[in-house]
Amino acid sequence: MKLSIGNLYVTDVQLGDHNAFQDGVLTVDKEGAISFLKECDDHITDLDIVIARPGDDTRIVPVIETIEPRSRKDGRCVFPGVTDDVVPAGDGELMALKGCCVTVVGGTWGSFGDGVIDMGGEGARHTYWSKLINICLVGETDEDFERHEQQKCNHALRWAGHRLAEYLGNIVRDMEPQDTETYVFDPLLKRSEERAKLPNVALVLQPQSQMEALGYNDLLYGWDMNKYLPSFLSPTEVLDGALISGSFMPSSSKWSTYEMQNFPTIKELFAEDGKSLNFVGVIMSNLNVALDQKERSAIMVRNIALNLGVDYAIVTEEGYGNPDADYVRCQVILEDAGIPVVGISNECTGRDGQSQPLVTLDEKLNALVSTGNVSELSRLPACKTVIGNLEAMNRDGMSGSWGYDEVLGKSARDDGSIIMEDNNWFCGDHISGLSVKTMVEF
Amino acid sequence: MKRVICYVNQFFGGVGGEDKADQEPYIVEGTVGPTMAINGALKDAQVTHTIVCGDNFMGSNTDEAVRRIMEMLEGKEIDLFIAGPAFQAGRYGVACGTICKAIKEKLHIPVVTSMNAENPGVEMFKKDVIIFKGGAGAVKMRQDVGVMMKYVNKVLAGEETLGADAEGYFARGCRHERFLEDCRENTAAYRGVQMLLKKMAGLPYQTELEIPKKELVPIAPPVADLSKATIAMVTTGGIVPVDNPDRIQSASATRWGRYDITGMDRLKEGEFKTIHAGFDPAAANADPNVIMPIDAMREYEKIGFIGKLHNFFYSTVGTGTTEAEARRMAKEMIPYFKKDKVDAIIMGST
Repeated sequence: MKLSIGNLYVTDVQLGDHNAFQDGVLTVDKEGAISFLKECDDHITDLDIVIARPGDDTRIVPVIETIEPRSRKDGRCVFPGVTDDVVPAGDGELMALKGCCVTVVGGTWGSFGDGVIDMGGEGARHTYWSKLINICLVGETDEDFERHEQQKCNHALRWAGHRLAEYLGNIVRDMEPQDTETYVFDPLLKRSEERAKLPNVALVLQPQSQMEALGYNDLLYGWDMNKYLPSFLSPTEVLDGALISGSFMPSSSKWSTYEMQNFPTIKELFAEDGKSLNFVGVIMSNLNVALDQKERSAIMVRNIALNLGVDYAIVTEEGYGNPDADYVRCQVILEDAGIPVVGISNECTGRDGQSQPLVTLDEKLNALVSTGNVSELSRLPACKTVIGNLEAMNRDGMSGSWGYDEVLGKSARDDGSIIMEDNNWFCGDHISGLSVKTMVEF
Repeated sequence: MKRVICYVNQFFGGVGGEDKADQEPYIVEGTVGPTMAINGALKDAQVTHTIVCGDNFMGSNTDEAVRRIMEMLEGKEIDLFIAGPAFQAGRYGVACGTICKAIKEKLHIPVVTSMNAENPGVEMFKKDVIIFKGGAGAVKMRQDVGVMMKYVNKVLAGEETLGADAEGYFARGCRHERFLEDCRENTAAYRGVQMLLKKMAGLPYQTELEIPKKELVPIAPPVADLSKATIAMVTTGGIVPVDNPDRIQSASATRWGRYDITGMDRLKEGEFKTIHAGFDPAAANADPNVIMPIDAMREYEKIGFIGKLHNFFYSTVGTGTTEAEARRMAKEMIPYFKKDKVDAIIMGST
């Protein structure tokens, strides 16, 4: 499979009355975009588009999703089974608007998996999103059945986000890219002898699938990852929108759709592919909660790896806590099968740093990358502008924030300042590989 | 200008050697002996006072020494407290740890000390106090003070510190996140792939999360003849005489006690209690035998099921206690068991 991503670099986004991309400036027909999104889904009752730029004194909360705007040259949809029919992904030509993202924001209501982005000040370093121009899609819906639920599907707003990403991508669909990234994944059985001499490396992805009820988990070609068994994928399928993020998991441990489209660990493996290793693809697993489901997935990952002839693997999980059991089990079962592993995830060592970092440990885990501590406390001053609604932090059971604490008070203070756990930064531990955090003994 | 107060023992305070180790604590303005070097290395801060105390006085009158020193500090502005360096001097190290811990808990200010890895003070206090890795003796004074002061200056200036290894103090089992410089080489993706390449090539690499080795203790072989065996009882459930004479801590214990039960048929309510902070103590205080079952063991002794119950039971608190501390305490108990020819030990669960 060959996937080409033609990049155009966005230096500013302007809201206007027509769509255009010229000299780095993306102009968006705001009313046109909003009426298109409302037409697609009559559960949306109100929508606004607001721009937040790097360095702005702006706090965005509750953030539901981030997505890179893209289109496909041949007209196939960008998110198969999500924004349109189920069509193949992983090969072809895409156009991408770099340097920006669609940021889906609850206008009033937050949920467990939603997070915070600070565009400027000390809080900016806690997420990658502060480096991008955030095209914030702020909305209200009539999804009353989950209005007061801690877990929300956020279906209408998430889908609106994916549609907007594709709508924006289509503005540049027929333009010439400034540069092109090309990812070639040769058929495994037809690889050259030279490649066959290199060690075979697979990436095991464990996307979020813990919710037994459908509609909250990550989707693969529109299919809920809870009702799924491990399978083999080309890494280009992941980069091409086959996988989208869900709404469940404390925010800092999630992979957003933007991260899946740009999965940094996949890109780093491609950078070494054909040189020091033979990248033999992605073994796509999941993170279900029941022990037999965990064991079944681990066994199937192991067997796919053995049958492909995988020599080494990287394992990474979208989550912490219960999913650590899958993360650790998968590494142990691979090591036991003679396949040495590197693991990439975050830790939960508590506010005092003294708790056990993963819920289960095994001495066979001897090569781990740590991307952050979910329980670190952040205290930050008010921002001049809030996009969304700070009160969601106090009211809606967002992970890492709270409405009452006898010592710390509430998370969103009346003066606009906040106190919360790292858990609440939107994808803040960037387990996908963007994280420049590590963990050390203090 | 930030204010630092220091602590030294009688030797470094210039009072004298072992013969002056009973020196009662006193405080002077400014520097004494090694605190001059500390003062010289401080940026935008000064040593306002130095406390001098004899190692024996601190060791044998700990509560009194701490109380007097806390009194001396009353009303004084203090931003940070430094004790030592204590090098390999055991009593001095324990004194530095003791006073640092007390000051940290009461005044909530940063405290640091320095001692050699062999100093017993390290194992006792590294969880509570930042202890820099020091040399064996005073010949390393300049170096040890230098390392410690680099860190102290950062703390006083409110700058980011880099963690135990980078700064040079003993790891405390306390893991926090640290931001690296924002570049591709520092992303988790790059780190992960590079780590894999090293693992593939058999080259050394540093895992970012070291999994502690599980030390499994083999199950002891059965006692051949219980009816002739002397059995001792040990608990981590915190059962102690009501006045807790050994001042065993309620959590993260470093102390233990052995208590005479000669002639007792059972542990009586009001004479024994639990000081364990990890569970509701009501049931154990009402009947201490539910954790330390002397009553049942005496029955076994009476009917000849066991030969003899050892005359002491041994107790500490397990909650939050590190494996290293637990191991040390066990090693300290063993000579007593050996001396009294104990054949088997029952370690009840809590």
